[in-house]
Amino acid sequence: MRRFVKYYTALAMLFMLFVTGMQAEAQAVAGESGGAFFNGLAKFWENSGFSNFDIRQLVMIIIGLVLIHLAIKFKYEPLLLVPIGTGLIIGNIPLPVSDAAIGIKDEGSVLYYLYFGVGEGVYPSLIFLGIGAMTDFSSLISNPKLMLLGAAAQIGIFATFIGAVLLGFEIHEAGAIAIIGGADGPTAIFASSNLAPHLLGSIAIAAYSYMALVPVIQPPIMRLLTKKRERIIKMPPPRAVSKTEKVLFPLIGLMLTAFISPGSLPLLGMLFFGNLLKESGVTDRLAETARTSMVDIVTILLGLTVGASTSAAMFLTVGSIKIFLLGAVSFGIATAGGVIFAKAMNLFLSKEKKINPLIGAAGVSAVPASSRVVQTEGQKADPSNHLLMHAMAPNVSGVIGSAVAAGMMLSFLM
Amino acid sequence: MNFLIDLANWDWSDIFVITAVGYSVVFAVLILLIIVYKLMPKVLNLQLKRRLKKEGREITAKSDEEYVPGEVNAAVATALHLYFNQQHDEESNIITIKRVERTYSPWSSKIYNMNNARHYQP
Repeated sequence: MRRFVKYYTALAMLFMLFVTGMQAEAQAVAGESGGAFFNGLAKFWENSGFSNFDIRQLVMIIIGLVLIHLAIKFKYEPLLLVPIGTGLIIGNIPLPVSDAAIGIKDEGSVLYYLYFGVGEGVYPSLIFLGIGAMTDFSSLISNPKLMLLGAAAQIGIFATFIGAVLLGFEIHEAGAIAIIGGADGPTAIFASSNLAPHLLGSIAIAAYSYMALVPVIQPPIMRLLTKKRERIIKMPPPRAVSKTEKVLFPLIGLMLTAFISPGSLPLLGMLFFGNLLKESGVTDRLAETARTSMVDIVTILLGLTVGASTSAAMFLTVGSIKIFLLGAVSFGIATAGGVIFAKAMNLFLSKEKKINPLIGAAGVSAVPASSRVVQTEGQKADPSNHLLMHAMAPNVSGVIGSAVAAGMMLSFLM
Repeated sequence: MNFLIDLANWDWSDIFVITAVGYSVVFAVLILLIIVYKLMPKVLNLQLKRRLKKEGREITAKSDEEYVPGEVNAAVATALHLYFNQQHDEESNIITIKRVERTYSPWSSKIYNMNNARHYQP
């Protein structure tokens, strides 16, 4: 890391020297001779990225490079951080003031049209379709009471909402920032594009960064709130679920959630539709496309355009620092909320039906990262204990819960 | 579409209303789903029992036995997999090495090998 910082500092200094030197030289030459050739050269220089360069853009480009470095070197959410990092570089290349439509904000440019999917909430919905087509809800159907943990962890969203208002954000902005507490990238982007489009870049980067850091943030909180004897609780294996139940699940879920919280329809409608494609057994081709090619294409476009839309002027602000701070706190609160609620549930359950409180941490909707964290932590306490399947139930119900919470925010604030 | 809240002149009571109502609705939705999914297998079993009764067949399984745990399913599937993989044709149990006859080709001839260059005398 030290070598990495050293290289980039040296590169930045060289770049600065080059820019200032070239700018002075071109102006001097054009002024002295006044010839057409040098005027042309000066014009070219004015239109180049070096001439329109701002130091803040360099900072953004470095942030993009750091994200790419984290993704490649440490494999932190590479499928998202590589497109977002590249997008940050693309979006912060200094552009000349001209009529040419190049940048993401210039109507008619390619990036402008690609960004349409983010601005209008198209990509998050399509990602939910893919998630629905790739998720097996059978652990949730076999033990529905674990859904309560998914609901409990949503306290992160509402605590962040209050925190954001306390930190001086406007009510719509606070609503958008709050969704980071759900640990759900597409939902955060969806809510932000509707409530506070100007904060979309900061919110998306904060949400995805913390999702990548789930294995770092969650374990200390889980260990702090549980005792060893609780961490070794073995849960009975989930029962086998019939095909009829699996087919009925998305249909009932869709109607129930949409009637209660219509604001969540674009997300949950697609999630349950994707799951119906998977479980119906007659639309395998559609389900296969939704969970592979389609979700990959949308992820590429979403990551790239979210990165490209994050300009220095919007991102390098005190507000962004506050958003990152709130994100970290909300993740902690959501994890703690799930674990504490699981412990509270155990007070009412018989000895053989007790749940391992670690799975409460999976109530945040970072699927399947937080389930994996639960499995790892469970195995640290007892290597023969497998919690992955049990943790998937609160994990997927967390996705439903955060989408409902986002729908509620939209209903209140739009 | 907003209800209850005056967004232009909100105060702290509005923030708490959003928080309390929002969090309650999240719980309400998931509790409703829990109730529905708890009832679903019972309703499905009821239909199955009714059909079996109509057909005059006896219902012997207790409610606990109606669902086979995942572990049992996995064990049965593994046993079947192993059984089917062990199915072979009858073999003679005699291992033999057969001599392979290759027709001569200059393409694979050792005479024309690169390593033979040192023996070349013009």
